[in-house]
Amino acid sequence: MSLQSYLVISIILFCLGIFCVLTRRNAISILMGIELILNSCNLNFAAFSRFVTPPDDISGQVIALFGIVLAAAEAAVFLAIILAIYREFRTISPDETDTLKG
Amino acid sequence: NLHLLTPEFALAGFALVVFLLDLFVPNDRKHLLGWLSALGLVGLAVLSVLMLSGEKESLYNGLLAVDDYSLFFKVFFLAIGVFIILSSIDYVKLHLNHPGEFYGLLLFSILGMNLMAMSRELLTAYISLELLSFSLYVMVAYALGNPKSNEGSLKYIIIGALSSAILLYGISMVYSTLGVTKFEAIAQSLIDLSSVSPALWAGLALVIAGLGFKLAAVPFHMWAPDAYEGAPLPVTAYLAIASKAAAFALVLRLLAEAFVPVTERWDQWQIIIVVLAALSMVVGNLVALAQSNLKRLMAYSSVGHVGYILAGIAVLAPDSLMGANGVIFYLVGYSVTSMVVFAALIAFFNATGQEEIPDLAGLADRQPFLAMAIAIGLFSLSGLPIFVGFTIKFYLFTAVANEGYLWLAGLAILTSLISLYYYLQVIRQMYIQPALVAPAQSDHDEVEAEEGASGEGEDDEHTHTPAHHESSADYIPLPRPSAALIFVVALGLIATIALGVYPAPLLELVEAASAAIIPGG
Repeated sequence: MSLQSYLVISIILFCLGIFCVLTRRNAISILMGIELILNSCNLNFAAFSRFVTPPDDISGQVIALFGIVLAAAEAAVFLAIILAIYREFRTISPDETDTLKG
Repeated sequence: NLHLLTPEFALAGFALVVFLLDLFVPNDRKHLLGWLSALGLVGLAVLSVLMLSGEKESLYNGLLAVDDYSLFFKVFFLAIGVFIILSSIDYVKLHLNHPGEFYGLLLFSILGMNLMAMSRELLTAYISLELLSFSLYVMVAYALGNPKSNEGSLKYIIIGALSSAILLYGISMVYSTLGVTKFEAIAQSLIDLSSVSPALWAGLALVIAGLGFKLAAVPFHMWAPDAYEGAPLPVTAYLAIASKAAAFALVLRLLAEAFVPVTERWDQWQIIIVVLAALSMVVGNLVALAQSNLKRLMAYSSVGHVGYILAGIAVLAPDSLMGANGVIFYLVGYSVTSMVVFAALIAFFNATGQEEIPDLAGLADRQPFLAMAIAIGLFSLSGLPIFVGFTIKFYLFTAVANEGYLWLAGLAILTSLISLYYYLQVIRQMYIQPALVAPAQSDHDEVEAEEGASGEGEDDEHTHTPAHHESSADYIPLPRPSAALIFVVALGLIATIALGVYPAPLLELVEAASAAIIPGG
């Protein structure tokens, strides 16, 4: 596969992720959108490390590994906050937790 | 030479120790963990100050830098951490569950901030930014029973996580076109670059968007009012002061080492930051005019201050230190002043549980020390002389005007004037409005109370009639704040006035810090 195929896939994932974050009514779906974006970044880094930089420079792959760890940590914190929201509001839709104004 | 990283290792170990001790300390002694964390941070700050005279070098082959810049910010962040802990010990004891973990999270976030000031490479910057952000997401949600806290935290984490993801995508685009992620290497490859490809434009735009979210610059600021209002007051203070300073430390280093040396491109790209600065100044100050909640007011006012600092960042130059000096000096002065205001607000909240502007009515009678602290802090934030707020604005706007952006400096001065209006509204509540009388009062006394309480020191022509004395004694008195809060507020007031009148020693340190990142200074 050439570099362009990987880039097209990652851009599609990025756009799908942003679409999820912007239009979903469920906080967990928003989390899935953010995970999609982070995975598209990881794909980007791995692809560029393979095709663009010199063969012995694996920094892109190392960055991708770090990205996976950070995405997992982010999901953990996000889910904890969703739990707290559910305990308080009995719903996990950001549209309905709308008490702060101005 | 990993020994140069001793403060960071010690801080990480210390945070883990605090988490561990939290399991064994009984519930009524948890505030001791706060004192322990503050003590540890003081020790680490002393260690970092001692390191200022030691060796300075890049670690891990250019990932982290221990130089004057990062040591300055390390001491700064540790000091802010100490003062936030001191201000929050009573608040946490009264209002929050799980106090031990609060201090542990705070220590981890300070570790993230230290690493942000030290990072010289995009991935290290991103990881340390995430460390700070994760701790902040949880700390904003800490008041579990309060629906506003949960909602503010949900909005903060959604937008914060989205912005981190966008930032990472931008970093990947920059990596794709340049092939490197270290700041100096980025500058070198940008100099060698013949033309800027669309992928690089996209990457840089996404990086600016991601970092703009973290700074709460307009148009990326929408999370700030809700997160600030929902968070517990010490966390609001921490967000407004420390996380902003850390994000600026990162952005300043990124721009100064990776983009400013590329002179012909930086001259074209400055305009983006100038536009962001102008928007933030205008929108932040104008929307603040309509706020009635103190935390929301401070949120929008901090967006305005972000605008001023961005104006300073826009005028970074490869041959002059004035822009960088102005930015760092502004961060220190703004943090000192905000600390005073927030500590006084925390003391007020501890005593009354209220955080709306009308609730401050008559504070000059009820607790004159707090009223004076808030008044001095707000006057300083709007830029009135003898306070540090004037000195930092004067220095920064001079630097902006020196580079030729006279209209930006003029806009900044105009919006500072506008900010004086909403700060004065708060001061008017405290000094001019009568304090609420206690419920069991006769109508006669209520009529007397309409006359208004006397101002502080300046209105000597107010005569104290005996009836007036009676009514002004009927306000609900405020208990004295705790010793830790009085200490923080008093120290902050002394620093506000001292730095405003005699900033030279601080300016020397600031100049040493900016000389470390601007190569041609």
